[in-house]
Amino acid sequence: MDEGQALEHATSAVALALSLGADQAEATVSSVRRFHIEARGESVAKLEGSTGKSLHVRVFTGSRNATLVTSDFSPESMRAALRRTVDQAGAIAPDPFTGLPDVCASDLPDLALYDAAIADREDAAKLEDVLALERWIREDPRIQNSSGSHYGDGISTLALANSAGFQASYRSTRAGRSSGPVAQDGPLKRTAHYGTAARYLAELEDVERVARSAARRATEMFGARKPPTMRLPVIFERDVAAAVMDELFQAISAANVATGNSWAAERVGDRIGSELVTVVDDGRMPGKLGSAPFDGEGVATRRTPVFERGVLRTFLYDSYYARKLGGQTTGNSTGGGIGANSFYLQAGAQSLDELVAGTERGVLILDTIGFATEHASGNYSRGARGFYIERGELAYPIDEFTIAGKIDAMLAGIDAVANDLRFDGSVVAPSFRVAEMTVSGR
Amino acid sequence: MQPMLDRDILERLISRALRSGGTYADVFCERRHTIAYRLQDGKLHDGSYSIAQGVGIRVIVGETAGYAYSDDLSIEALLRAADAASLVARSSPNGSERRIDLTGVQVPAVYDRSRREHASSERYADLLSRADIAARAYDPRIVAVNAHVVDELQDVWIASSDGRLATDHRPMVTLGIQAIASEHEERGSGYAADGGRTSLAYFESVTPEELARDAARIATINVDAIPAPTGEMAMVVGAGGGGVLLHEAVGHGLESDFNRQGTSLYSGRIGERVASELVTIYDDGNLQDERGSVSVDDEGIAGAHKVLVEDGILRGYMQDRHNAALMGVAPTGSGRRQSFRFLPQPRMCNTYMPNGSSTLDEIVGSTQRGIYAKSFAGGQVEISKGDFVFMIAEGYLIEDGKVTAPVKNATIVGNGPDAMTKVVAVGNDSRLARRHYTCGKGGQYVPVGVGMPTVKIASITVGGTQHG
Repeated sequence: MDEGQALEHATSAVALALSLGADQAEATVSSVRRFHIEARGESVAKLEGSTGKSLHVRVFTGSRNATLVTSDFSPESMRAALRRTVDQAGAIAPDPFTGLPDVCASDLPDLALYDAAIADREDAAKLEDVLALERWIREDPRIQNSSGSHYGDGISTLALANSAGFQASYRSTRAGRSSGPVAQDGPLKRTAHYGTAARYLAELEDVERVARSAARRATEMFGARKPPTMRLPVIFERDVAAAVMDELFQAISAANVATGNSWAAERVGDRIGSELVTVVDDGRMPGKLGSAPFDGEGVATRRTPVFERGVLRTFLYDSYYARKLGGQTTGNSTGGGIGANSFYLQAGAQSLDELVAGTERGVLILDTIGFATEHASGNYSRGARGFYIERGELAYPIDEFTIAGKIDAMLAGIDAVANDLRFDGSVVAPSFRVAEMTVSGR
Repeated sequence: MQPMLDRDILERLISRALRSGGTYADVFCERRHTIAYRLQDGKLHDGSYSIAQGVGIRVIVGETAGYAYSDDLSIEALLRAADAASLVARSSPNGSERRIDLTGVQVPAVYDRSRREHASSERYADLLSRADIAARAYDPRIVAVNAHVVDELQDVWIASSDGRLATDHRPMVTLGIQAIASEHEERGSGYAADGGRTSLAYFESVTPEELARDAARIATINVDAIPAPTGEMAMVVGAGGGGVLLHEAVGHGLESDFNRQGTSLYSGRIGERVASELVTIYDDGNLQDERGSVSVDDEGIAGAHKVLVEDGILRGYMQDRHNAALMGVAPTGSGRRQSFRFLPQPRMCNTYMPNGSSTLDEIVGSTQRGIYAKSFAGGQVEISKGDFVFMIAEGYLIEDGKVTAPVKNATIVGNGPDAMTKVVAVGNDSRLARRHYTCGKGGQYVPVGVGMPTVKIASITVGGTQHG
């Protein structure tokens, strides 16, 4: 589906919704061509290629709203489904904050989100990627097996139209490659995963580097022990640092603030983090995975400082929660919820190695498992693996332990931030150190 | 029920998918209509209606699977999908396509397959409003209530190159309530949900008030709770929701893809002792109305009762068609997928442990110091080494054989086989948990059930913040 066709579907859905009784309507059409190939050993395990589409319509009747999501674009189905959605809206409680945004994007810069090299890439080259990943991880004789090496890409078209006259569209690409080697450590199997993703093919880390990083992660855990229970400095390596940032994003999402699910409610203006905590949400950086010219309701994206030197400046809003909580939309609508653009912790000057070298005794976390965070209280707790640090050196690998703390206390405890920030996702962070946390093991 | 595609089109698509070679092909057709409402601030906040409709075509050649889906149901688009899926078969298309004759497969229903309609808006609104009122009335410290109700009707048709045409109609309702309590500077949340492959009538027996009071009770407990202790100690796992432990610590490791590939720690270990002799674990796709039940799975195979572990001995894996064929065994009705956009995977249905002989009082009474994990908020496992974590949603200290103060912010970390050998008591109170669990694997989410009696594990690592 090209941009013109997508816009046509969106505008006709808006017109249809109005003709069925909606006062206001907004329609988003997206079409994605997806490709995924997975290899194990010397052969292909999976090859998937499809084009899918989706229509997302928000209808408003008298300060009430309901949403339709459908993959069926046939006129009869669309009419029946929209009629039903308008009826549904009638059952909702009137809410004065509901409605289209007050101001939609008027400047629509080209953010360089589309890479023709991805769209034109031959399947044979993608196949060679995954086979090469599988070969490279086996350069290390301790790796004889894998849970698969992957290459995937997507070419997307998105169009948004609403009854206030906004109409816009853009195309984007993304690609990624990753590998999951399994190393044999005596009777134990140790698996690891490492990957890279970007909007541009040329920005992906190359095959050899991805494979070597993945293989190293699987083998460096050999002989890992369970650490004693203690309180000490904890360094979060880049990927796990990004996962902590995701928890922070949840807390400053206005939707969670408004529903009682945020420990950060009523703390705008407070110094929560250390001096090193500067966090930004930016939707306008050219070529980044978190960038788009407009958000899920057609509002211009922008650069929003969220924390400045530890002080919480604002929550992230769509237009509904901005009206409800008395803020300004920050261009973070997903068309019904709130999502991140490029949400990141500002990098520091030291390398990760220097951070480790500057830690007399501590723990470096390379991977965590588990996902529940109590956002109402900010209690954070994860299973983890990594290294014990002694006298500034990685002394030995450790696993089967947990780390725990409160998110706000962790932010306050950040006493070093590394320079290894990379934008391989929407929510990202450089490695950082928290001065003290509880590590539970033996 | 009107089929999405006529039988002759299904036959033609399978023939087309196999024309470049391949040992097996199937066509999965899905139509899913979902109604949902959310409540916030005591009011019905929004509603949604969604339609997912499409066809996924798979071709298998040895260890390789090719897949393509289409949400465009025109014959041209479907043939294109068949061709895309057949790219994994390297031989050139031969002129004579293999003829496929499909025969309908009959399987017993394990849920009501007759409901075709959603309820009126008023009925959903009524459930949410009753839940809101009950949660707020429970305790003045309840400051916010968020609730949702989802009602899904899914139709599937699965046609395969072995000539089977299976169909299923699967209802699913879920009512979920989150309550948030606050006192002084402390906040806590509680969640309760139930439903299953049934209709809104279910909430006449398990009422929104009952669920709401439970959510509110857990929220207030979490305000009162003390920080969890840290370090190794005994754990008593609560009946019902404790089944998440089995799901994470053992279940995933017994899915056949990991075992065929040799990436699970349980690979090649059938017949070996993997747990204490008190441990028996079943997975069952045939339990009436449970979330993980399937009359037929997403590959057209009837749901079944599987013995995974019996008296501590590993008895079998959960098999989908592809891995079963490669391992030379029969599929077990475990092939499941999130939607037509995904290849099927071997997955759990409803995983549970049957009764042992101890009573709850005996189990708690025998514990000097430990933690009583009554329910969990989610977990995750690393299937190669078997390390798992899960978060305690409702937990208490056990001191001198008695359940005492509630604790918060506790994660349990352990190793599957290690924890299973340390099972020292199994209660006589086995039951299935409330129906609201969803399992994620490889980016695909499917509904599952879990169940368990009260179980005692001699030693496990509790990761709280209270040190010493």
